Amino acid sequence: MKSFLIVILTFFALLSGCATQPKQDLYSEIGGSATLSKVFGLAINRIYNDPVLGPHFEGVPKSHLREMLTEQTCALIGGPCEYTGKSMQEAHQERDVTAAEFYRLVEHVQQAMRLIGLTYEQENRILAALAPLKKDIIYQGI
Amino acid sequence: MIRKLFLLICLSGLSPLAGATGSSLVATGGITSFEGTAGGGITPWAMIAGYGSEEEIHGTAALQQLDLGEYQLRTFGAAIGIYDRVELSVQRQNLKVGSGITSNVFNLLTQGAVSTAPGTDIEQDIIGLKVKLFGDAIFAQNSPWPQVSMGAQYKKNRDFDTSLPLSDGSVPLPQTGVPMLLGATQDSGTDFYLAASKLWLGAAWGNNLLANVTARMTKANTFGLLGFESATDDSYALEWEGSLAILPSPSTAVGIEWRTQTNRLGGLAEEKTVTDFFIAYFPNKHWSLTAAYVDLGNLPFDDKASGLYLSATVNL
Repeated sequence: MKSFLIVILTFFALLSGCATQPKQDLYSEIGGSATLSKVFGLAINRIYNDPVLGPHFEGVPKSHLREMLTEQTCALIGGPCEYTGKSMQEAHQERDVTAAEFYRLVEHVQQAMRLIGLTYEQENRILAALAPLKKDIIYQGI
Repeated sequence: MIRKLFLLICLSGLSPLAGATGSSLVATGGITSFEGTAGGGITPWAMIAGYGSEEEIHGTAALQQLDLGEYQLRTFGAAIGIYDRVELSVQRQNLKVGSGITSNVFNLLTQGAVSTAPGTDIEQDIIGLKVKLFGDAIFAQNSPWPQVSMGAQYKKNRDFDTSLPLSDGSVPLPQTGVPMLLGATQDSGTDFYLAASKLWLGAAWGNNLLANVTARMTKANTFGLLGFESATDDSYALEWEGSLAILPSPSTAVGIEWRTQTNRLGGLAEEKTVTDFFIAYFPNKHWSLTAAYVDLGNLPFDDKASGLYLSATVNL
């Protein structure tokens, strides 16, 4: 058991080392906040029309959500923005978002990135920055 | 039986009712190993079978075939993933042993007096249980920790004492199957394993990178197909398995795997490290196909036991 833990930690730490190399300026590569805003504009339309996800966003103005998501993603991928919105825990506190709903939302964002014309590589690097938000989004209801 | 199952799988894949396969993202369920557990081709991963999220129950059905010439390994089974936490699986394995091999066995046993014998089958059933302990292989991108699962595979060799007949139908060694002839002393055993898996999004030049390490405690000889334990060694041995894959597109994974073995029996049944190179294709969340080149190292009378492996998984 002990040797197993040592081996896996060394192995995964080594790979993480490769994985966390400073990224080439992803923000400017994709065309900055203008592109992110297009992505989230499209994703939000899809999300609001989704019969499962739509009800979660009742009363949330599309333009506000779009602005917040753009700002947050810009900051997370190393762009020149500061996220001014609520923390993810706070924003999802009364929603009790399930993992299934979260994955559904991710799929809409993935689709939007593809439709806007981001490459698979850019999509993966953006998702890598957004993925850790999962634990602060799902099951935040008290 | 295999045909029936295959037909069932094809029908379920085409059925409009099969629309819901679970919410998790495509390819995140991995494929199905030849032992019935979600993973790579030859090793279990920490992922739970199917695309079910924490609120869902979904499953998989899968078929595998490994063509080694005189040996043909055909396996099939099903797995169910419960709340992305628990996985239960059943698997039937059938190893067809060609007459070239059995003839060699009798030739050796009778010092040349008998030189031909018909082929035989060695079958094994595997019941698997896997429980996710902690971690999130895909979404915990800011953590060095992998997803870790613990599992057990109960294996029962159905032909441990199935005698080999000669061409005239006589049975010179009653109640002695191939595993016994090679020195195995038990017809069943339970493997216990810990599997750690992690995916790094965009880590390999923008492509996703997946790594898995599995530690297995086992008493099996050649996965249990050649029985369990031996007269001189009835204790568990620790074996290591791993997979490393890159996903060059959302629907493709290419990788390598390895798996060490104990070599408890030695001699004809000598075991070497198993390796493979695979390409998996995930066109959508309903099914996936995998082709691999597997090198088992050695099987009795076949010291270059390697060949093409094909596997299909249907998500239910």
